[in-house]
Amino acid sequence: MFDFIFKRETPEAIKKGNKAIVRIQRFNPEVDEKPYMEEFEVPMTPDTTVLDALHHIKTEQDGSVTFRRSCRHAICGSCAMNINGSNDLACHRPLSESLDYHGKITIKPLPFQPIIKDLVVDRTTFWAQYMKIKPWLIPPDDIPEKEFRMSPEEVEALHNAETCIMCGACYSSCQVVGLNKEYIGPHALLKSFLRTADPRDSIPGERLEIVDGDNGVYRCHTIFNCIDACPKNLNPTEAIETLRKLAQKRLAYEEAREERQKTLNEPIREA
Amino acid sequence: MPNNTITHDVIVVGAGLAGTWAAMVAAREGVKDIGVLSKIHPLRSHSGAAQGGIAASLSNTRPVAGTGPRGPLEQIPPGEEPVDSPDLHMFDTIKGSDWLGDQDAIRILVDDAADVVYEYEHMGCVFSRTPDGRINQRRFGGHSAPRACFAADWTGHVLLHTIHEQALRNNVKFYAEWYVMNLIIEDNICRGVVAMDVLTGEVHTLRAKAVMFGTGGYGRAFKITSNAFANTGDGVAIAYDAGAPLMDMEFVQFHPTGLYRHGILMSEACRGEGGYLINNKGERFMEKYAPDKMELAPRDLVSRSEQTEINEGRGVMEDGQGIFLDMRHLGREKILSRLPQVREIAINFVGVDPIDAPVPIQPTAHYSMGGIPTTVDGQVIANAAGDPVVGFYAAGECAAVSVHGANRLGTNSLLEASVFGRRAGYAIAEFVKGGAQLYPVSGDPAERQRQRIKSLLDRDGDELVEHIAQDLKSTMTDNCGVFRDEDRLKVAMSDIKELQERFKHARTMDKGRHFNTDLLATLEAEHLLTFSEVIVAGALARTESRGAHSRTDFPKRDDEDWLKHTVAHKTDDGPKLSYKPVSIDWEKYPPQERKY
Repeated sequence: MFDFIFKRETPEAIKKGNKAIVRIQRFNPEVDEKPYMEEFEVPMTPDTTVLDALHHIKTEQDGSVTFRRSCRHAICGSCAMNINGSNDLACHRPLSESLDYHGKITIKPLPFQPIIKDLVVDRTTFWAQYMKIKPWLIPPDDIPEKEFRMSPEEVEALHNAETCIMCGACYSSCQVVGLNKEYIGPHALLKSFLRTADPRDSIPGERLEIVDGDNGVYRCHTIFNCIDACPKNLNPTEAIETLRKLAQKRLAYEEAREERQKTLNEPIREA
Repeated sequence: MPNNTITHDVIVVGAGLAGTWAAMVAAREGVKDIGVLSKIHPLRSHSGAAQGGIAASLSNTRPVAGTGPRGPLEQIPPGEEPVDSPDLHMFDTIKGSDWLGDQDAIRILVDDAADVVYEYEHMGCVFSRTPDGRINQRRFGGHSAPRACFAADWTGHVLLHTIHEQALRNNVKFYAEWYVMNLIIEDNICRGVVAMDVLTGEVHTLRAKAVMFGTGGYGRAFKITSNAFANTGDGVAIAYDAGAPLMDMEFVQFHPTGLYRHGILMSEACRGEGGYLINNKGERFMEKYAPDKMELAPRDLVSRSEQTEINEGRGVMEDGQGIFLDMRHLGREKILSRLPQVREIAINFVGVDPIDAPVPIQPTAHYSMGGIPTTVDGQVIANAAGDPVVGFYAAGECAAVSVHGANRLGTNSLLEASVFGRRAGYAIAEFVKGGAQLYPVSGDPAERQRQRIKSLLDRDGDELVEHIAQDLKSTMTDNCGVFRDEDRLKVAMSDIKELQERFKHARTMDKGRHFNTDLLATLEAEHLLTFSEVIVAGALARTESRGAHSRTDFPKRDDEDWLKHTVAHKTDDGPKLSYKPVSIDWEKYPPQERKY
């Protein structure tokens, strides 16, 4: 039953490393009953990224191969997909480092979301969960003429969350999401952490109540898939753990926030 | 009324900073019914790719006393003299624009700067801080004080997410992955747009009392570019096709530090933090071209200097087409804390860690100074006489208000998109609440676009759309790039004409209806061919060198004949050019020689 591993011969060009075979999961609901795999041969240099390969296939071989992309340098979050079994951004990944010993790479859409076409998935539940946690900051009523004062340390504490690009690699790697679409999910919990931990936010209590519910922080089974999947090396699990701790002392945290906001318009005193 | 008609009070096209600001402000001002259309999800917009910062003369930092103008920065203690002012910002911007920027608009840009940055901060934007908790500021090219407010090197990302979240908070409705194909203007009144829902492939007419474009730039017309796949200048081409003029299209900024061969941006913050540019002799060659500002001269000048080094055989890499950006002396800690994204990009795309080795770079098409001409309130102007296109607004990179003139300074684009997007939002709210009407649309404009799609899909020529797009990009980079001359521009123009003909037979491979991104690429290619002709026509006509437009056959700026904006209208015989005076305060900021 493992014949397929041994049967195909590796072509010379692939042995030499200037060609690669890209296996793409295809599915067009207009014509296909179910998804199938299709192989394409593409030219490769050390510079070629996985996105370059997809782009080459789309523009030179089969224009119906469909995927999302935009910035091509890992900041817009469009091109998250499942590459060789794990989620990553196609744009920042060198093709040559993603091949097996037959010179092949396997690309599928992000798991756990309905397929729209080929590598494009329907992210409705992803964005619905993002909305559920109220991603916007609610500042205190007393808005200063200039900036609120935050220490470099307070900013640094938000760093893990502020650089999230909402690509969905974590969401689609989370087994809890796979079983339960009501779960808020690592992306939205990370965003909730960003807002909750921000000294300028004035509704941390309400935020903690939202994530404290049935489908919030306690659904996380600390499988750590989200950490492995994150192309920006962020740590949603840590944020979820922090939210758990804060939710258990919500009132005290709210009080501390009220206290902190009393001096939000004053210079930080250096230690 | 035809089928598939949707109505809103306001339709915004494009969900980057300019469009989202306008929508958010209009909603906050009480306009209930706003739809924002974007061909990609709003958070994928290219505003998010901006790295280095947003300019505002806050005077939060200064060079440490006794270390000179390029010394390390420290926070300015409370009560001590500010080092910066809106006036200084204004002068730098005017000088950067090579006096082609409209000074009435620049006045507003610099006066609103602090307020817009503080508003971002109050809405939750996570800026980097000084030790006493103020917004931290770094140096940027062409600015004479540390003026760039930043969030590490992902400033655009945090600004975009912040404003998008606040728009959601204000119940703005977003149409993600809707591609606008046509702008409906009749009798000089804007009545709506025609757009395709990419998911279903259905084409809809969307009527509105006001339409605002924040559709971004047109850098994708070039082979080496820092721009996203999405930046195909659709809004600019659509407005031009609908009869609106385009202004100063020949002014395209080439950023000095695009990653070698990829074009991906290595932030100007690399040089703002102290990085060097090095040729193959190991020389910091900028001392020849801008002895005072060195690497922090404005972008047009640095790109020309690099290209000169390359052309004279002092480039690096196998083909001699690169320059080294050396940041090693900044040290590990500074690179990790201030330039983390840049470092990641260099490692991922060229396999170089800037901590250990210099990064190969080259000039890359980056920013579109030209665009749809507007007033300082975002109102689109129909002609050189200044008549408005009623109900049509634009802001950000697709517009030319014009604060950047012939060359933009780094960090002024995030500022411009925010300041003028916000102002457009206020103006639109006033317009709609002042009793603007929903004007009727004649015929069925959506049906015309359906026919356009059908005819594109029915074509079965031998040639692929992508090959035409590639040929266009090559000729634009080779013949309408950092340096231009009459001969090369004429080659570019004849190439474009030929490509427009070839496009008529080009084949779209995907014939399906839903989520047909191949069809989108075809429509985008058509737009590239449309506005590229305007770029080259303007560049051919302008027989001088000013800012980013550098003619080797006319190397001097010529204020006598050319201190004026190019205005292009579409005609059957190609772009018809006319000219419009620049707004200048002759007392305070008269044209001077531009030296750095």
